[in-house]
Amino acid sequence: MLISLNWIRDYVDLPDDLDPSDLAERFTRTTAEVEEVHPIRVAARGLIVARVVSLADLPDARGLRLVSLDVGGGKTVEAVTAAPALHEGCSVVYAPPGSSVAAYGEIGTATVAGRTSTGMILPGDAMGIAMAASEAIFVSDAMEPGEQLCPEDFEDWVIEVDNKSMTHRPDLWGHYGIAREIAAIVGRPLKPYPVANLEELVSDGLGQVEIAIADANACPRYSALLFEGVPTEPAPLWMQLRLGHVGMRPITGLVDLTNYIMADLGQPMHAFDAEKVSRIEVDWAQDGERFTTLDGAERVLTREELMIKSAGHSVALAGVMGGLETEVSEGTTTLLLESANFSPVTIRKAAIRLGLRTDASARFEKSLDPAHTVLAIERFVELARPMYPDMRITSRLSDGFPKPLEPITVKLDPKHIARTIGRDVPTEEMERLLHPLGFEVVEAGEGVDVSVPSFRATGDVSIEDDVIEEIARYIGYNVIPPTMPRVSIRRFEPNALHELEQRTLEYFTTAHPFHEIQGYLWYDANWLSQMGIDPGPCVELANPAAEGLHLMRRSLVPGLLASVAKNRFHFPVLDIIELGSVFERGDPEDWEFRHVGLISARRGKRVEQELYADLKGAIEGWAWERFSRTVAFVPAPPTPDRPWEHPQRTAEITIDGQAVGRMSVIDLSLRRVIDEHLTSWGIAWAELHSSGLERLDRPAEPIDGIWEYPRIEMDFSVIVPSAMRYQQVAESLTAFDHPLLKRVRYVGCYEGDAIERDRRSLTFRTTVGDDARTLVDEDANAFRRAFEEYLQTCGYEMRR
Amino acid sequence: MLQGVVDLVDIEQLDKAIAEIEADLTTRLTDASGVDAVRTLETGVLGKKGTLGSLISSIKDYPPEQRNQVGRTINEAKVRVKNLFQRRIKELESAATSAEAASAAAFDPTLPGTRGPMGSVHPVTAVQWEIERAFERLGFTVEAGPEMEEEYNNFDALNIPATHPARDMQDTFWLKNGKVLRTHTSPVQYRTMRKFGAPLRAIVPGRCFRYETIDASHENTFHQVEGLLIDRDISIPNLIAMARMLLEEVMKREIELRVRPGFFPFVEPGIEIDMNCQICGGAGCATCGQSGWIEILPAGMVHPNVLRAGGIDPNEFTGFAFGLGLTRLAMMKYGIRDIRVLNSGDLRALVSPARLGGPIIAPRKKCCSQTS
Repeated sequence: MLISLNWIRDYVDLPDDLDPSDLAERFTRTTAEVEEVHPIRVAARGLIVARVVSLADLPDARGLRLVSLDVGGGKTVEAVTAAPALHEGCSVVYAPPGSSVAAYGEIGTATVAGRTSTGMILPGDAMGIAMAASEAIFVSDAMEPGEQLCPEDFEDWVIEVDNKSMTHRPDLWGHYGIAREIAAIVGRPLKPYPVANLEELVSDGLGQVEIAIADANACPRYSALLFEGVPTEPAPLWMQLRLGHVGMRPITGLVDLTNYIMADLGQPMHAFDAEKVSRIEVDWAQDGERFTTLDGAERVLTREELMIKSAGHSVALAGVMGGLETEVSEGTTTLLLESANFSPVTIRKAAIRLGLRTDASARFEKSLDPAHTVLAIERFVELARPMYPDMRITSRLSDGFPKPLEPITVKLDPKHIARTIGRDVPTEEMERLLHPLGFEVVEAGEGVDVSVPSFRATGDVSIEDDVIEEIARYIGYNVIPPTMPRVSIRRFEPNALHELEQRTLEYFTTAHPFHEIQGYLWYDANWLSQMGIDPGPCVELANPAAEGLHLMRRSLVPGLLASVAKNRFHFPVLDIIELGSVFERGDPEDWEFRHVGLISARRGKRVEQELYADLKGAIEGWAWERFSRTVAFVPAPPTPDRPWEHPQRTAEITIDGQAVGRMSVIDLSLRRVIDEHLTSWGIAWAELHSSGLERLDRPAEPIDGIWEYPRIEMDFSVIVPSAMRYQQVAESLTAFDHPLLKRVRYVGCYEGDAIERDRRSLTFRTTVGDDARTLVDEDANAFRRAFEEYLQTCGYEMRR
Repeated sequence: MLQGVVDLVDIEQLDKAIAEIEADLTTRLTDASGVDAVRTLETGVLGKKGTLGSLISSIKDYPPEQRNQVGRTINEAKVRVKNLFQRRIKELESAATSAEAASAAAFDPTLPGTRGPMGSVHPVTAVQWEIERAFERLGFTVEAGPEMEEEYNNFDALNIPATHPARDMQDTFWLKNGKVLRTHTSPVQYRTMRKFGAPLRAIVPGRCFRYETIDASHENTFHQVEGLLIDRDISIPNLIAMARMLLEEVMKREIELRVRPGFFPFVEPGIEIDMNCQICGGAGCATCGQSGWIEILPAGMVHPNVLRAGGIDPNEFTGFAFGLGLTRLAMMKYGIRDIRVLNSGDLRALVSPARLGGPIIAPRKKCCSQTS
């Protein structure tokens, strides 16, 4: 929200030498965040009032008109202007030759579209009314042509307060509320709110507008007053300038006046044509009811929308926007001025459902003070009387107030204040800090009673801690010295899953060269469909960030693949890891699991076996590191909706027979679809299901101990057909038993010139020993013979 | 060779045999070109079955009256032979040393060390781990919670009823199953209070999601670290002290704080803790919106309603909570200007070049700055 410092000065005597930026910083530290402070610098010199005498279109220059202006002293000048909405007899702000404004410098006489243009009708944005853009600013006919305009009125400072930082403070949505905070910050008194005394102005004989409120919760208060004589004159220039400074556009005298009060007190008002709206009924809309709002849009309503009706006929969408039919128009002679209080929830729902957020609805949503309905009417009268002396009040104040606000008194416990703020706060200090904000402090036994002003009592302040906040922010959060807390020691059950994830990430990024990435929780459905991937049943977002981003990921692999496709331009070797949540549809509940995704990709042909072995080895190491266990890779058929699982080369990763993940390589056809260049790459991936794994214990690793008698190692190589799986050979070796055999390990695999094609040599290393004696040659030889004999029985050829 | 028991032995014959062994050895030693060959030769002579070794083991076979003399003769020979071996080994070793010295020019200790490729964690993870360590040292538990969260836990339990305007502040990703992607890590406050009760010290690093348009400084997916401390005597100055510790722990330098009121329904009083911008140092730049301050740590005293929802008696316990902008802090620490790179999976933007290849020789400075 934009705050005009001139406006604030109406209510607080600010020091003349006040630095607006300094004030803004203090406001930020005490009340709400200021986003920006900037001056309105018009530097007006010599501006005057001019009256339009005649207007003529310039046929050869579209959008431009030649206007003849009475500039006072019997002088008439001609000027070319682009300003719309000019009409004969209207008075405008005019910059004669020799005058100047910051936006244009010195104004002179120019030739525009072949005509001599003397001075200019000053557009709104050149005098600080940005929203008026190139429009002329109209002034009252009561002002004489040639009348000098006061340069100071154009100068101002604007403070922009972050709306989000005051959603809980309805009182700050008007200048008077902001002025209250500023008064407290600078330590100067806040002036009383200037209002008219209605009782003095309204004679007893007058009637009243009837008000019927169907639901007091939805409309706790509705106040109204009737007027005769609708203002046709523009609002005073000072008012238009202030509205302009706070980002509003001057419209008509009446609209400007109600807008001014909204920006002044925070209370929205609405004026009806009283000939069409004579009595007020506040009631719910009919389902399916059609209603045309002021903006000309027809809206279909539900029973959730609160309406202002007159004689059963809807005339306004309560708190959001008035109706087109009953709006004040040229023929209007009598006004019904509404100043009401609505339930924030009702207004919020209506505004959201209809997609119609207005300045009014934004304020009602904050839960306004019901006391403001009457105050705003009194303020309206106070402002309107000097502006529009012809306006007459033609009714007594009507005030439907079925649900008065309960006064709130909060009990404060000095001990609780002290422990929260970090120091004692004596009652006098509390009084000194709270009084300027409208709170009353009364000592009551051991504590104090604080009564909350109505403008803070609509949800903002209701408990002790709310009042403590007021005290704390005025003592100053930056003033109290920070101290470390005193706490009790206690034990927390370890967060095993978090620990597992962290150690897992640490392992793969240090013992192996994986780089961690973080991707979005959702699949890119467009990319998947380009890849020909049907992701299967997914948990879905109701409001995705963009079209095609509605499917929640079930696997980390597609994201990792996308990352490979992106990074392959820059790196010939890629090892990428991601830890994250995946989602599965369930009945009745959908599930969220934690996964670890790993992908290894290398540029080059025939790299797959090595790539696969590297990744497998990394996972074996991980399982040992984390759980002191070995993992098994059990060949498994691919899952139908996971085309990234290779038809033949997919394995289920198991620990103690329990599935803990999957591993595979990306087959050629998918690589080709992802990116033609990836056909000459190998890509292997694994996905580990960490959820649940945290329950696996980590037994102490078995250690051999020091053997007393030497052990010897002997290598054996067997030649087997390449098509024979290692697993089969390894399992056959497991069955061999010998009293001296301590251990058999796999050493390596060889395919090449030294052996026949389509055959490979597998080398194993045996460790042989006897725990009771030293082996002699004969023992070793006997073992060698026995083992070789066994290998031959298995049908393997020995490699010598 | 002397085998078996001999009655009388011609000592001269023995002397001759020894002399032959020594002569033979001298020739062979001269021929031996390396230490290994000498060692083999040594076994052949002095080993049990060696030429001299077998003489030693035969001493016991001589008649008792001759054993002394024979033993002395053989042992003296053994000492001489050993000396021959040692001398030759020394000769060879010194020759090797001079050969090595000769090739010293080729040995280059300044060549880079060889190492395998290095991995890396995401910048956000790196900062997250630092924060976790800092808080673990203070006895905090590190908690986590689901990213797909119950609406109640994300809002209602945090004093944000359905009608509260604050629900606007956090535009929410809704799932068709009625759950939400958590908009903050704060629902874990509720979960942790339910799990452990008071007193309580917990931090919750985690991902959060807001329905927001993405640009260089806005993401719909980002990280926070929730902090929660509940005990019998907790104050706002305690909160500010912890915030300072946390930020300085990560930035590894003194920082300036600005504390101001802030509104969050689940705390009362609520504050915002700003840090002087680490990109411009507080002078004002695009990253801090020219203000010199970075909004980094929304915080406050836990609202009594939230304590109650968590099953904790607000009359006995109070506490503070904060929600550190972890993503933003990581950007500050690593000088990352465009938030979008963090979820891009683009290694160029996430990994230090030192980890992505061989040793870097030039330039010494960062060679490409992240812009846009």
